[in-house]
Amino acid sequence: MSRAPGWLRGDSPGLTLARRSLALILLCLALLPLADLRIIAADPWSELSRMALGFVWPSWLALENPLHAVALTVSVALWGTLLGALLGFPLALLFHRSRLLRGFCAFIRAIHELFWALFFMQVFGLSAITALAALAIPYAGIFAKVYAEILELTPRAPGEALPSGVNRLSRFLYAELPLVWERLASYTRYRFECAMRASVLLGFVGLPTLGFYLESAFREGRFGEAGALLWIFYLLVATLRWWGHRRLLLPLIIAALFALGPWPAVDGSLVWRFVSHDLWPAPLLQGDIAGLGPWLAAIPDLLPAIGNTLLLALMGTAGSLLLTLALWPLASRHFGRPWQRAIGSGLLIVLRSTPELMLAFIFLLMLGPSMLPAWLALALHNGALIAFLVARHADGLTLGMQGLPASGRYAYELLPRLYPNLLALICYRAEVILRETAILGMLGVATLGFYIDSSFEYLMFDQAFFLLLITAALNIAVDAISRRFRPRDVPLDDPCSR
Amino acid sequence: MTLVDFQAVDLGHGDQIVLPALTLSIARGERIALLGQSGAGKSTLLTAIRQQQQDAAAWCPQGHGLVPLLSVYHNVYMGQLERHSALANLRNLLRPDPLAWQAVETLCDELGLEGLIRRPVERLSGGQRQRVAIARAFYQQRELFLGDEPLSSVDPHQALRLLEQIQARHDACVIALHQHRLALSHFDRVIGLRDGRVAIDAPCRELDLARLDALYPDARSADDRGGDAPGEPQAATEFSAATREAGRSAP
Repeated sequence: MSRAPGWLRGDSPGLTLARRSLALILLCLALLPLADLRIIAADPWSELSRMALGFVWPSWLALENPLHAVALTVSVALWGTLLGALLGFPLALLFHRSRLLRGFCAFIRAIHELFWALFFMQVFGLSAITALAALAIPYAGIFAKVYAEILELTPRAPGEALPSGVNRLSRFLYAELPLVWERLASYTRYRFECAMRASVLLGFVGLPTLGFYLESAFREGRFGEAGALLWIFYLLVATLRWWGHRRLLLPLIIAALFALGPWPAVDGSLVWRFVSHDLWPAPLLQGDIAGLGPWLAAIPDLLPAIGNTLLLALMGTAGSLLLTLALWPLASRHFGRPWQRAIGSGLLIVLRSTPELMLAFIFLLMLGPSMLPAWLALALHNGALIAFLVARHADGLTLGMQGLPASGRYAYELLPRLYPNLLALICYRAEVILRETAILGMLGVATLGFYIDSSFEYLMFDQAFFLLLITAALNIAVDAISRRFRPRDVPLDDPCSR
Repeated sequence: MTLVDFQAVDLGHGDQIVLPALTLSIARGERIALLGQSGAGKSTLLTAIRQQQQDAAAWCPQGHGLVPLLSVYHNVYMGQLERHSALANLRNLLRPDPLAWQAVETLCDELGLEGLIRRPVERLSGGQRQRVAIARAFYQQRELFLGDEPLSSVDPHQALRLLEQIQARHDACVIALHQHRLALSHFDRVIGLRDGRVAIDAPCRELDLARLDALYPDARSADDRGGDAPGEPQAATEFSAATREAGRSAP
């Protein structure tokens, strides 16, 4: 007789993944003492109850006419996505040919929309150009990568059925593009939803989108108004499929042109001075290489900032993993009664539609400035997002054995089938989480974003630019690591899950 | 006059040789049925003939190779894609060329696709798609028709009619199929492949159904075992398919 294996022993793929996930969580726990998780606010619960009250009884009447903010939010999202797609598509066609191009795309998408906004604001001010460039540039990098992946999966059969001698363009238009059109379109739609959130966030740096009014309402404690604005945003996202219908798209795009603004007067010499002079360290411009040492030393707390950024990203990823595991049954048809499921899905949709910066901001007001609100926001937003996708995946599965208790269904029937996919989604998300971690610095958490924000504030553009480069490099590195870590052989055929 | 000629050629995909040292020639005007079980090398042979006859062969691939999102018209039009400039093809996507439209509509009517010319291929039934693939091959207007199971998703009656239309429009044809009766009644010559070699190559009048059955090892082994109940081999395949399925969905 053989002895039963010990804890987590064995080489089945499920156990391998379980060990890997456990290692991630243990690493996170081991590093947790380094994180600043204090609750600084005196009475978080009363603040929370006032916010909840504002959300449940929004004061619509106190609201200034929000139509302009709504129109601007939608217009920026629409044109930002459109320009991003127009720039990204040609890049996608060349994506697999050029390593340089791939590196360039990785770089522009590694910098968060808000950082791009801060960057362009120095030249174009609070204007439509800043808003559009902030969305279109990182999205061009994302579109280039995802479009290229989709195009790579084009079925070959129709192309091979063509007579010989068909020119490249005709082949592409007839036997390639139509085969992937649906996927390209659905990814672009998904990106537009992301752009809606990003467009709201642009309000946090001063562009008058919904986020601008949200931030000031929250900051000044007018929670009734903030609640009303949040409701407007959720309604906008929930009704997207009607007002964003394919037939309405063209009129919408044209109408959006009129809502965009203000357009700045661009001073060419100023732009040139910014690009050629302001962004670079003074010692470098003067050819004084030795002077770079003191210049570097003058950057405050560079290493702790990088450490905090990575730590928060790790905590966010591990937290998302745990929350996903806990939350996905809420929205799955295999568990609970219909009304419970409706509430569960509603909760997940609200959590994933709320921009993480917004969530972090709310927690920050409640708990005070430490890493805790940022962690909660990252884990809740991303956990809910992935839980929702996993629940959809689970709903497509049929159970092998009927009549198992809920725990049996969860642990034996469903989770083993879902887990490789779930972990792959988390790994894809790690890069996004790191991007968001940096941005949470703008709320006062001491990550890289905090120093980038304050460098821009003190007009130390060379420092800000240097920190942006470091952020981008970190992102690219973490992306490479998570690609190693993620389970192989899991086809993530739905690009919208990224 | 010889149309296709292979002298001791190794055929296959990349490094993998499927039909070693193949010797075969096909004359103009011949109607050839290509038989053999799946994986015997029928598609490999057809692909090789197609490569040799780039400009003379109309091609109707296995699994149709259609573009689901495009209309029947555009799919058929693709048969002549190489005869127009990129610009003309682009324009035709946005606004169909009136002359081509008429030609395609006539073809569709002949093949039993009346009134479907505007419909996206994704909304057609299997049999209709099959006919669109055949229409696209017809639209190429070539003398040799190469078909990889072009009659597999239509009923026997329609298969007969389609075959007659194919043969009426082409000087010669090489068609892979599984309908043995049809092979004997409507072709001049049968080429039967088995285990990477030509097992049968003879005029149809010298062949009968029993000889064709020898191409399928399953059929013969059932005979060798003394002819068990005819349902049994099928039940066995069903069972193995079920276990495979279970194995795949297991974690």
